[in-house]
Amino acid sequence: MLLKLTGGRVYDPAHGVDGQVRDVYVRDGRIVAAPAPGTTIDREIDLRGRVVMAGAIDMHTHIGGGKLNIARAMLPEDHRGEAVQRSALLRASCGHAAPGTFATGYRYAEMGYTAAFEPALLPMNARQAHLEMGDVPMVDKGGYAMLGSDDFLLRLMAAGTEQAVINDYVAWTLHAARCIGIKVVNPAGISAFKFNARRMDLEDRHPYYGVSPRDVLRTLARAVHELGVPFPLHVHSNLLGVPGNFPTTLGTVEASEGHPIHLTHIQFHSYGTEGDRKFSSAAAQIAAKINATPNASCDVGQILFGQTVTASGDNMSQHRNAAVASPKKSVTMDIECDAGCGVLPFRYKDKNFVNALQWAIGLELFLLVTDPWKIFLTTDHPNGAPFTTYPHLIRLLMDRTFRNECLGTINPDARTLSTLGSLEREYTLYEIAILTRAGPARLLGITDMGHLAPGARADITVYRDDANREAMFTTPEYVFKDGEEIVRDGRIVKVVQGRYHTVEPEYDPAIDRRLAEYFEKYLTIRSRHMWISRDELSGLGHDAEVVVHPTRRAR
Amino acid sequence: MSALRLTLRAAPAQRVDCAPLTPAALGGKSAAEIGALLLAAGGPPVRVDDLFTIEGTPGDTLVLAGATARLDGIGTALNGGTIEVDGDAGDYLGRGMATGTIRVSGSVGTFAGSGMTGGELRVRGHAGDFLGAPLPGEHRGIRGGLVLVEGNAGERAGDRMRRGTLLIKGNTGALLASRMVAGTIAVGGTVGPGAGTGMRRGTLLLPALPAGLPATFNDCGTFPLSFLTLLARAWRGLPAPFGDLPERGLRVRRLMGDLAAEGKGEILIRA
Repeated sequence: MLLKLTGGRVYDPAHGVDGQVRDVYVRDGRIVAAPAPGTTIDREIDLRGRVVMAGAIDMHTHIGGGKLNIARAMLPEDHRGEAVQRSALLRASCGHAAPGTFATGYRYAEMGYTAAFEPALLPMNARQAHLEMGDVPMVDKGGYAMLGSDDFLLRLMAAGTEQAVINDYVAWTLHAARCIGIKVVNPAGISAFKFNARRMDLEDRHPYYGVSPRDVLRTLARAVHELGVPFPLHVHSNLLGVPGNFPTTLGTVEASEGHPIHLTHIQFHSYGTEGDRKFSSAAAQIAAKINATPNASCDVGQILFGQTVTASGDNMSQHRNAAVASPKKSVTMDIECDAGCGVLPFRYKDKNFVNALQWAIGLELFLLVTDPWKIFLTTDHPNGAPFTTYPHLIRLLMDRTFRNECLGTINPDARTLSTLGSLEREYTLYEIAILTRAGPARLLGITDMGHLAPGARADITVYRDDANREAMFTTPEYVFKDGEEIVRDGRIVKVVQGRYHTVEPEYDPAIDRRLAEYFEKYLTIRSRHMWISRDELSGLGHDAEVVVHPTRRAR
Repeated sequence: MSALRLTLRAAPAQRVDCAPLTPAALGGKSAAEIGALLLAAGGPPVRVDDLFTIEGTPGDTLVLAGATARLDGIGTALNGGTIEVDGDAGDYLGRGMATGTIRVSGSVGTFAGSGMTGGELRVRGHAGDFLGAPLPGEHRGIRGGLVLVEGNAGERAGDRMRRGTLLIKGNTGALLASRMVAGTIAVGGTVGPGAGTGMRRGTLLLPALPAGLPATFNDCGTFPLSFLTLLARAWRGLPAPFGDLPERGLRVRRLMGDLAAEGKGEILIRA
């Protein structure tokens, strides 16, 4: 079956196509070159005046893993709300900040997203996380395995083990947990919290292992690079949310020692201590550092006002913030001595000085990082806001008048302190396509997504051009997944099962034996039981396809 | 006065969520429009006119005639107007209501008046468990208004109540006023075990000392309380045994607790 999408304005930044009118051809789930004249077109859709982009990719969104179930259990009122009614096509689901798996998939697809990546997949919990993500329909999925506070790694590092062994362990973890990248959360800090440390800065030493966050960052960034994993080390820096944390964030970039590094939800890591309230924006310094560092990239973790729930592996930060939870409840826990978890509900208020400034800092970062290939559009769902707010965020970036109107309504002290009002930049559709499509695909090392050249998977989103960008990005006219029409006018017309994206870097199997002994001695299960095979992963996702992306081992 | 009358055609086989049926939501709609509304139900949604015959014009008052215990969520978030239920009502009656009146001639299910902030809820028959109680995960039960049950109430009535008045003419099940924060509860009949467990503040007015009171209540003796004069005046016009509370001369035995919580709650036993 040959599908022709005729006459749309195509935004395909991976190939420099900026709104040119092009025809897009789709056959067998892939985009193909224009066929020879006379070829039968099975279906043609007239897209004149429409905006055509690849399906959007969310590269940092918490959609699987135990923390979400904790959030759901903790906030039954959130879970009762926003019900999705069962229909002939859709399954019943519910929830706002921590929606059910079905609602998650449906809402992503209805906004034109065709892939979403879970950034805090605890290797020990990988099976449950993949099961949960497997239940999210419509979108492709993948996870980043969380390391950096796990006992095994810290033991290796404390003993001064050579990098090659650590590389093997990291590779083994990627295999065992079936992930596409490595994430580090509050390097060494999650573990240090359990040894009664309440603050870990880059140079602080872990009270037991004596390892510093800087050591962990260097070691893991190097491991990821040497294993040839395309996706750079995904870093949630130390001191999340602490006023005056920006030097730590700058130091984190340095700590990778030239290896690729991605700083996630950087908004929470861009705080200074100027002003009467000792809380100020350091967006300018952070953006300057990102702009000047070729090996660094970031996503923002924008906050938007309203009720949400924050779910993080960073038990140290969550414990610190438990007092400001709204409603007042929180969970801080250890998970199998492997990492931690903290969940607390939060309501961001536009009249609150700190929240309003956080909002402005996020937007400043978006506007001050000059290269759109180095910054990604996230709210750290659900930590800054639920992912359903993305269209609103896109409007804030693309429409300066609207942005300044919103700025006019926030806490006046925060408004005075922020430089946001003076920033004139407005994102273009081309840049939005980089932030939400081409950029994430390139960063993840997925070569056949996020663009519209022949050979790419036919994940395509078609928008009606609308000066109100929020309305435009909320309700795409068509969404195609692998060439199939799944959404029409913002409503799902076909339910599909996304695939898993993984990497399998080579490693020396000698590490198997070492891990088997370690598991036997210290953990509750055997290492072979933690290991998820490729076939099992497929089963976890209702016979989902498992894609293994190539790795190139650095010499 | 205009009234809309919805008469149940036959007892529904499945539970039906009647939350959309409030005077405000139906105001200004034609009978055809009301009939076409869909109500969530066990199985596929049902049309209002499949379930009810529709008479009268929408206005300040809505009458649900021939109602059964399968009709859930009647008067949810009611804000103004009157709902009269002729028959029984299901669960979540008047949940989260703010103003207005709901009167039920029969009995009601669980979580009636849950989290209400104002208005008046009157039940001629019995109420199920969790009368006025919050749903799991919520922090507050009744936060204002008046609930009057002429029959009995089940367990956990007044759980986490914060403000307002809860009056039960008959008996109550276990754990009356559990985790109560503030407000007033009075009962005409007997009270099940564990009354006032986790009570922080608030007042419980009972005709006799209940069996199985937590050990964490402290007997403070029997004496007159001038506050009771004010209470009696406020309750004038309510049915006995609440409306006929004597303005003077009433002595009560006062037990303070729950000392395992804040301990500022009081259980008053009429002497």
